[in-house]
Amino acid sequence: MYDAEAPRLYGMALRITRQPSLADDAVHDAFLQVWQRADRFDPRRGTAEAWLTGLVRYRAIDLVRKRVREVIDDSVPEEADPAPGALDAMLATAAGEALHRCLSALEERQREVIVLAFVDGKTHAELADQLAAPLGTVKSWIRRGLMALKACLDS
Amino acid sequence: MTEPDEDIEMLAAEYVLGTLDAAAAADLAARARTDPAVQAAIAAWEERLTPLSRVGGPVTPPDMVWRRVARSAGLVRPFVQQPGLLARVWRNVVVWRCAAGVGFAAAAVLAGVFWAGGPRSAGPVAALVPAGSSAAAYVAEVRPDGRLLLVALRPVPVAAGKDLELWALPAGATKPVPLGVLPGEGRSVAPVRVPAEGTQLMISLEPAGGSPTGAPTGPVLYAGVLGNGG
Repeated sequence: MYDAEAPRLYGMALRITRQPSLADDAVHDAFLQVWQRADRFDPRRGTAEAWLTGLVRYRAIDLVRKRVREVIDDSVPEEADPAPGALDAMLATAAGEALHRCLSALEERQREVIVLAFVDGKTHAELADQLAAPLGTVKSWIRRGLMALKACLDS
Repeated sequence: MTEPDEDIEMLAAEYVLGTLDAAAAADLAARARTDPAVQAAIAAWEERLTPLSRVGGPVTPPDMVWRRVARSAGLVRPFVQQPGLLARVWRNVVVWRCAAGVGFAAAAVLAGVFWAGGPRSAGPVAALVPAGSSAAAYVAEVRPDGRLLLVALRPVPVAAGKDLELWALPAGATKPVPLGVLPGEGRSVAPVRVPAEGTQLMISLEPAGGSPTGAPTGPVLYAGVLGNGG
């Protein structure tokens, strides 16, 4: 688990929180939940990987949004846009390949907001700010993008 | 509060994406606990989007994180401190939960996933439990170099003038092989190679310094069989 799961989860938490101490907390809290609530995991609903990913992400997002943004540590540099080719990291798995294909089929703006929201944990307002677009437009990109993704993935 | 399916679908998607505000997210999480349709919609979106968790790239967490998890989960600190050890302990704890029958299905599935997903094959593991109990006191793992790692899950008190000694009984054998006396609080790495699969591990109570005869002389307090954890 450590070899395969923890670096992925920790890297993800660090990217969202941008602070090692918050990433530590997110991973710690999530694994403690696994320990205390393993019985809540239902393999019929989904994979353990997705369940664990959710636990870490929700905790990381929760922690970072409770913090005032000013205290954010500069030790993890803010990355502008997802680097070209960054999405290729998904190609490691079959599910990732499908998502990669379906994301590639989206309009550029739709893909961009979805990736930034998931990978960096951005809110609607932060996305609007970063992309210099009206809030309503950003929300609409996200919704249309998500619906198109679902149609593509489920087909 | 009834909403059309597409609204639930959209709420679940944005919940998983992380773009719902805190109040709406808490609301939906609460509904998911009682509404299987909401729960299923969220789980499906988690499944769809999880591959994106690889995009930021892996970062190895500091070992301190695992120490904290182990401490919070009520595990004692292991005898040997080294990077990654606690992660292995944790993995073994999943096995322990299987052995203890707690969250059996979930733990078995988790263990299967984690083992299958690891780039290095994990060695056989055993949960050593006291007679008449289901709560493991030790977990043991055969490491890639063939050495046996034994970690206490809680403090094991030993009377003055006594020691705990670890034994291996390979499948089909009739005479246990002594692996050494457990130090101090009973946490140890036995620097020996043991036939792994199917070997029974035992911890017996012996006079200080270990069995004088080369075979267990006191009661076997804890025992477990090495297996592949699934």
